Amino acid sequence: MATLHLLSHSPFADSRLASCLQLLAAEDALLLSGDAVYALQAGTAQRQALELMPGSIALFALEEDVVARGLAALPERLQAIDYAGFVELCCRYDRTNAWL
Amino acid sequence: MKFVIALFSPAHSPVSRRALRFAETVLAGGHEITRLFLYQDGVHIASANIVTAQDELDLAGEWERFVRSHALDGVVCIAAGLRRGVLDEQEAKRHSCPAANLLPAWELSGLGQLHEAAQQADRLVCFGGH
Amino acid sequence: MARSMLIITRQSPWSGPSAREALDIALAGGAFELPLGILFLDDGVFQLVQAQQAGQLQQKDVTANLQALPMFGVESLYAAQRSLQERGLDQNALSLPVEVLDDTALRALINRYDHVITL
Repeated sequence: MATLHLLSHSPFADSRLASCLQLLAAEDALLLSGDAVYALQAGTAQRQALELMPGSIALFALEEDVVARGLAALPERLQAIDYAGFVELCCRYDRTNAWL
Repeated sequence: MKFVIALFSPAHSPVSRRALRFAETVLAGGHEITRLFLYQDGVHIASANIVTAQDELDLAGEWERFVRSHALDGVVCIAAGLRRGVLDEQEAKRHSCPAANLLPAWELSGLGQLHEAAQQADRLVCFGGH
Repeated sequence: MARSMLIITRQSPWSGPSAREALDIALAGGAFELPLGILFLDDGVFQLVQAQQAGQLQQKDVTANLQALPMFGVESLYAAQRSLQERGLDQNALSLPVEVLDDTALRALINRYDHVITL
């Protein structure tokens, strides 16, 4: 019974990412969209926190947001997805939790 | 799968475009949308008074077309709508407000509609936040 | 069997309508006798502080309305221990009977519900 957590706000602006990371269960997944993809920015504590998540936690990002922001040198564990992938993830995981 | 999609941000937020693309993809993938529910600042997506610059996306208009063309059930939380000034004719009259501005594709109703849809749907996906 | 919903409330009562609008979701669900839980997380734990005075800000008192939850059949109330500690709040001096959960328990909590809304 795993949860897909959705983050869409900059991790530098508030504590959503930090709080979310503390609540991720072993088989949960994290999907970054909007300004939340800035958490992938190399050389940041946020990027490091994502890399340090247990390997069992899947990390996804909405591709259009990564490309729009010119992000490069992405983590190997990251899976960039499109909207079809987004819908498929919502079906795959038992519930979604959007950190509004 | 049956989806309930709840929107909490207004048309000018990038969230509303992301949610629309998601909703379109849900239907394109052969899934159902049990209901769309607008809450908090998402109620502004149902406003007929939004004027978008020529070179910008008219998300309120796009959402309206999407709801109508697929005959979806689009509900705006009445309490959230009143608080933010999104009213239909009935509420505008009831509260002596100068204008009704609810787009015809949407209907004002209570939070019970969110719960009813959540009971029927397999997945509840929320978009929003500021 | 009815689908259960966990409402996670993360805002203080004074930051805008979020706390109130999270509570409204809970009360509406309670009125339909649906299985609901509420988790007070991050600044949401400030909703549990005693002796707040909404009148000072000419605002309705959300904390008083929270007392109505058991009457609406919503009794599964939780607070994040970490959030309370970070904010210097004494978990034994809260305005509502909540179960205080550590991170491990919180992870398990979320995954027990069919739907989650975080406001």
